[in-house]
Amino acid sequence: MIEFHNVSYKYEKGRGATNLNFTIDDGDFVFLIGPTGSGKTTLMRLIYFDLLCDTGTIKVGSFVSDDIRRKDIPTIRRGIGMVFQKYHLLNDRNVFDNVALPLHVLGYSGREIPNRVEEALDLVGLKGKDDHYPVELSGGEQQRVTLARAIIKEPEILLADEPTGNLDPVSAFELVQLLETVNETGTTVLMASHNYNLIKGRGRRILELKDGTLRGG
Amino acid sequence: MDKLMYLVSEGVKNVWRHKMTTFTAVFSLFLAIYFVGILAIVGDNTHSILEYLRSKYKVEVFFDQDVGIDSAKNITNTIREIKGVRTATIIDKDDAVRIFQDQFGEDILSILGYNPLPISIVVNILRNSIDPLQVDPIVSEIKKIDGVAEVRYQGHLIKKIERTYSGIMKRFPILAGIFIMVAVLVIYNTVKLSVFAREELIKSLELIGATRAFIKMPFIFEGIIDGMLSALFAFPCLLATVNGTNYLITNFTSWHINLLIDATIFLWLILLAGIISVLGSYRAITGLLK
Repeated sequence: MIEFHNVSYKYEKGRGATNLNFTIDDGDFVFLIGPTGSGKTTLMRLIYFDLLCDTGTIKVGSFVSDDIRRKDIPTIRRGIGMVFQKYHLLNDRNVFDNVALPLHVLGYSGREIPNRVEEALDLVGLKGKDDHYPVELSGGEQQRVTLARAIIKEPEILLADEPTGNLDPVSAFELVQLLETVNETGTTVLMASHNYNLIKGRGRRILELKDGTLRGG
Repeated sequence: MDKLMYLVSEGVKNVWRHKMTTFTAVFSLFLAIYFVGILAIVGDNTHSILEYLRSKYKVEVFFDQDVGIDSAKNITNTIREIKGVRTATIIDKDDAVRIFQDQFGEDILSILGYNPLPISIVVNILRNSIDPLQVDPIVSEIKKIDGVAEVRYQGHLIKKIERTYSGIMKRFPILAGIFIMVAVLVIYNTVKLSVFAREELIKSLELIGATRAFIKMPFIFEGIIDGMLSALFAFPCLLATVNGTNYLITNFTSWHINLLIDATIFLWLILLAGIISVLGSYRAITGLLK
């Protein structure tokens, strides 16, 4: 569960997020929409505690921002999968190593890792691409590697920040379908996008941000 | 255990993955170790070079013509008692004639019909003192002895050598300190740059919930490997430099000096390389994680 109570955050140069109040229940699939600069990324960063709110309270699972300690942050993030517009893949490692990275962080045994990587790649439709390097893949494929890396640790929450921003319409559509598949396994999904056409008609809850303020929900 | 193995293997793989940054780090570390090593070897051998030069210090004491061999032996014993004297060797009148003939190619007895050369002794000075050697007090004491006619020694040269040695020993620690500091700074910045070049990896690891220790460890292992590699390249170069210098000294000079490498220098250098690269990596990565 993700809960925001009167949450505000201001960057040094101004803007950010103002008085956000919302709750996302476990297993929900929520779209976060708004134009560029409306505060979508700020909201996401507040969820994974990359930013700490100035006022208000954020609750993510059992962690509450008021009592959060620096050493708790890695633990919180282990329960959150993240997908970004810019992929953030490691170009000096192949697909297998990129996807396996969270499992090493979690301390999985060397025997267990190959099977899990294979399953994750299978789910995102990249079976057989494990020895490719990111630069050898298309944008859509790279984003699917990012998704495989995010879901391999079976996170409770999946945050997707403009994951379709660099993709063609077909790849974007396929990625949203994949996110829905992940959601069906019980993972809470929050996907930010400024492409309203991509998300309309899916029957999902939509949070709309404008100038750092939530307009719907 | 799997995690530790992964972190160690990541450190090893990073060396290979980032060949250019590894090369830069290893090369600058190699240069630093090499020059610090040379400095250490020079420092270690300075005293043995000085001992060699001191072995050449010679004080010649000439007796009055009327001093016989028995009196000369007594005076020699007195001189041996003087603090700072290592040996005193008598050269009697017959030896003096032979030396004269060796040096000038003339038989003085056949020229003059008698032997005018006095009995003398050659005094050698203690050479293993760490402090600068003072020959003047020894000479003054010898001059006070009855029967001593003249004392000859290379006072100016000895003073110059001792002054130079004393100057080197005063400046050496400062020079070594400055050199090590510069080396540390160069290496630290090289390692820092190589860590900064992998900001993306660090950011990704932070986002997937890696602890600070997990992020730091591969960089530390990489630092250790870089340190070991640079030491591996520096040691043969140091050996070659010392052997080359010994070859030049033996074949092109009349000095009997053989530069030696104390094996503990290698241990200190490995330790230095390891500490510098590990500290450099640790500080750089800690700075990025703030």
